[in-house]
Amino acid sequence: MNRKILIRLAAIGLLFFTILSNAHSSMIQQYFDLGNSAYKEGKYEEAIENYEKVSDSGLESGNIYYNLGNSYFKKGKSGKAVFNYEKAFFFMPSDNDLMSNYEYVLASLNLDLQYFGTWPVRFANVLFEGATIDLLTVLLSAIYFLAVALLICSLFFPGLKRGINVFLLFLSVVFALSAVSLNSKITYLNKGAIVISKVADARFEPTESGTTYFKLTEGGKVEILEKNENWYKIKRPDNKMGWVQKTDVGSLSE
Amino acid sequence: MVMRNINKIILFIILDLVCLLHTSAFAKDINFEATVDSNKVELGQPFELNLTFNGTQYMPALEAPIIEGFQARYVGPSTRMSIINGQVSSSITHVYTLLPARKGTFQIGPFRFEHKGDVYNSNPITVEVVDVVALPQTPPAQAGGQPEAMDLNDQIFLIMQIGKNKIYLNEAVPVIIKLFVNKLGVRDIQYPQFSHDGFSAGEFGQPRQYREIVGGIGYDIIEFNTTVFGLKPGEFRLGPATMQCNLLVQRQNRGQAPPSPDNFFNSDFFNSFLGGYQAYPLNLKSTDIPVTVLSLPEENKPASFSGAMGIFDFEASVNLLEVKVGDPVTLKAIVRGQGNFNTVKFPATDLGDNFKAYEPQVKQENVTKIFEEVMIPLNDGIKEIPAVNFSFFNTGTGQYQTITRGPFPIKVIRSEKTEELQVVENKRSDTTLLKEEKLGRDIIYIKATSGKLTKKGEYLYKNKIFLGCQVLPLFLYLFIVVMHARNRRFKTDVRFARQLLAPRKARAGIRLAAGYFQKENVRDFYDALFDTMQEYLGDKFHLPSKGITISVIDEQLRSRGLPETILAKIEELFSECDMVRYAASQLTKEHMQNSLIKLEEVIDHLQRNKV
Repeated sequence: MNRKILIRLAAIGLLFFTILSNAHSSMIQQYFDLGNSAYKEGKYEEAIENYEKVSDSGLESGNIYYNLGNSYFKKGKSGKAVFNYEKAFFFMPSDNDLMSNYEYVLASLNLDLQYFGTWPVRFANVLFEGATIDLLTVLLSAIYFLAVALLICSLFFPGLKRGINVFLLFLSVVFALSAVSLNSKITYLNKGAIVISKVADARFEPTESGTTYFKLTEGGKVEILEKNENWYKIKRPDNKMGWVQKTDVGSLSE
Repeated sequence: MVMRNINKIILFIILDLVCLLHTSAFAKDINFEATVDSNKVELGQPFELNLTFNGTQYMPALEAPIIEGFQARYVGPSTRMSIINGQVSSSITHVYTLLPARKGTFQIGPFRFEHKGDVYNSNPITVEVVDVVALPQTPPAQAGGQPEAMDLNDQIFLIMQIGKNKIYLNEAVPVIIKLFVNKLGVRDIQYPQFSHDGFSAGEFGQPRQYREIVGGIGYDIIEFNTTVFGLKPGEFRLGPATMQCNLLVQRQNRGQAPPSPDNFFNSDFFNSFLGGYQAYPLNLKSTDIPVTVLSLPEENKPASFSGAMGIFDFEASVNLLEVKVGDPVTLKAIVRGQGNFNTVKFPATDLGDNFKAYEPQVKQENVTKIFEEVMIPLNDGIKEIPAVNFSFFNTGTGQYQTITRGPFPIKVIRSEKTEELQVVENKRSDTTLLKEEKLGRDIIYIKATSGKLTKKGEYLYKNKIFLGCQVLPLFLYLFIVVMHARNRRFKTDVRFARQLLAPRKARAGIRLAAGYFQKENVRDFYDALFDTMQEYLGDKFHLPSKGITISVIDEQLRSRGLPETILAKIEELFSECDMVRYAASQLTKEHMQNSLIKLEEVIDHLQRNKV
C-alpha cells in the first residue's frame, strides 16, 4: 500500500517538474522571440532587454549571444557587441555569420584580430579553431580511451605492438595539441575580458587618482590577472599591465 | 698579379690568332683604295696620300710613286684592326706626303700594285692645287672654346636620304641618316632626330658602321635606318635631321699658339686616353627633304581592300582536311613582302553561318605577318572553307592588287557525341571587362532560433561524473596489466603456480575429508587428510609433495620461522594419520573432528601469514 503511494507521489512529482520545466523553456523562448521581434522593428534597446532576460535565466547559447552582439552593434555599443560575439564563439566557433559580424565590428573599431599566447598555443588554436570547449574535452577523452584500449591490445597481441606504438605516438601529438588548445580556451573563458567602454584608462593603481599608464581600445581583448573590489588588474596582448574599473571591461566568465 | 699576366697572355694569343687568320686572306678579299686628306690644297702645302689595303695587315709599301706636279715621300705604314659585332676587319695604310709643285687640277692614280702574283688597282683621285691666297683664311678657334661647325663641315656632317619623294598615303618608305666622319675623334653619338610632321616614323634600328670613299676622301660612316609613312595627303618636308655628339679636341697647352683646325684634329685618336684631348659637344644638322604624299585612287578599289600598302605576296592554308562538327580548324594566312605592315589586316573571308570564327592570332616578323584564325564548323553539310581575298595597294605599280587563295576543301563529319552542336562561348573575357561590383557591407542578420540552450558555465570538463569516468580506463588498464602479469607468471613460474593453487586444492581435500567424516569412514578420512596436508605443504613450500614427512617439515618449516604451535599441530596431524594408516588405530569421531579443525587452522594460518 505504502509502495503504491510512493510511486504515485513520484509520478506526480515528475509530472510537476516536467510542467515547470516546460513552462520555463517556453518562457525563455518567448523572451527570445520578443527580442527578435523588437530587433526587426529596430527597437534594439528592447531587443537587448529580452535577450538579456534569457541570459539572466541561467541559460545560454551561441545564438543568444550572437543576437545580443548584433543588437548592441546596432545600438552603437561596439565594445559590447564584440564582448557578446566573443561569448558566442565559445558555443559556435565555426559559424560564418558570427565570424563575418565579428570581423566587421572589429574593422569598424579599427581593430585587427588579436591573439594571446605563444606560437605553439596559437598553432594549436588554429588547428582546433572550429572546436568548442566541450568538443575538445570529448576529443581528449576519446583519445585517452583509445590509447588505453590500444595499450591493452598490445598486451594481448605483442605482434601489433610496433604498429600500436606508432599510432600511439601520433595520438600523443594530437592529444598534446588539443590539450594545449583546450587549456587556452578555458583560460580565455576564465580570464578573458573585452573592453566595453568607449574610453578606458589602465592605471598604475586600482584607484581613480592613479596615474594612467595606457589607454584601452573599445573592443580590445585583455586578460584579467587579479580582482580588487571594483578593479581588475588586466594584461594587454602586448603584455602591458594596468588596473581598470570593472565597468570598463566585460569578463567572459561572468 | 699572376692572373692579370695570364689574362694578358691569353689576350695576346687571341690577337695573334686573329692576325694569323687574316694573313691568310685571299687576294680577292683585299681591297686597295687611295685617299687624300683634302681635295683642294695650297701650293707648297704638303698633304697626305693614303694607300690602303683593306682585308690584310701584311702588304708591303709601294715605292714612292712618281706623280706629276707633286713630290712624294713615304712616311710609313699604319695598321688598323676592328671587331664589330664579331666581324673582324683589318687594314694597312701606307702614308705618303705629297708636296704640290704647281697649280692646277691633277689626277692622282689609279695606282697599280703587284704582290705575289696578285694585282691590285686603286681608284683615281682628283686634287686641285691653288695659290696660297686663293684659300680663305681659317680663323683660329678660340682656346678652350667650341670649334665652329662651319670649319668642320667637310670633316663631319650629317646626310638624310629618303627612298622616294613621292609616296602614297600609308606607304612605308625607308629613311637613311648617315653621319660622315673624316679623321676626327667623335664619341657619345646620340641617335638622330628629325621632324616628321604629317608622317609616322618608326624607331631606328641598330646603326650600321662602315667606311666609304667620297670624292677621294675616306669617311667613316654611321648609318641609321628607319621607315616613315604619310598620314595625310599633301606637300610636306621631312627633316632636317639633327644629331648630338662630342668632338674630341686636343688640349691647348699654355703659351702655345692658338691651334688651327688642321693640327687640332689630325692627331692620334688614342692619345685622348692619355688626357691630351677634350670633348666638345657638337650639334649636327642635315638638310630637309621635300616629300609629296598622294592619296589613294578610288578607281578599281577592291571591296576587300583594307588599307594594306606595299608589295606583298600572300599564302593561305588549312591545317586539317577532315574534321568533326564542333572541332576547331585553323586557317593560316601569311603575308610576305615590303611595305607598311601596320596596314595589313586579316584577309577578308565570308564564312556565313557555317562556321563559328574566333579572333585571329597575329604574329609579325621582319617581312612577314602571320594570321591564324580558329573556326569551328557548325554542321556536317560544309564542303569547303570559302576563298580568302587579300587586297593591297601595290606601291611599286601604283595599282590595287588582289590575291585570292582557296577555297579549301574540307570534310566535316557529324559529331558522335551530340546530334546538335552547341558552341559554348567563353564568357570569362566578358566578365573580366565588367567593372568590379561594389558590394555593400553590414552585419549579418540575427538568428531566428535560440539554438541549443545550456546551463550557464556548464561545461563538460567541469562535470564530475564525466571526470570520474576518466579514471575507469586507468583502473581497467592497471587491473588488466596485473592480471596479465599474474597469468604469465602462473604459466612460467611453477613455484608461484603451486603456491597459488595450494589453498584451492586444500579446500577440495578438506571437503573430501569432511565427506568421509560424515560417513565416519576413519581410514579414508585420514588418508584424505594426509594427502591434503602433504600436497598443501608441498605446494606451499615448493617441495615434492610425496616427500613431505615429519622430519622434512621439522627441517624445512622451522627454519622459515613457523610458530611452534602450528608446527606441533602439523606434527600431531601427521602422527594421527600414521597411526590410523599404519597401526590401524580406531580413533573416535571426536578425534576425527579435532584433526579436521587442526588441518583447517594450519592451512588458515599458513595462508594468512607470509612464511
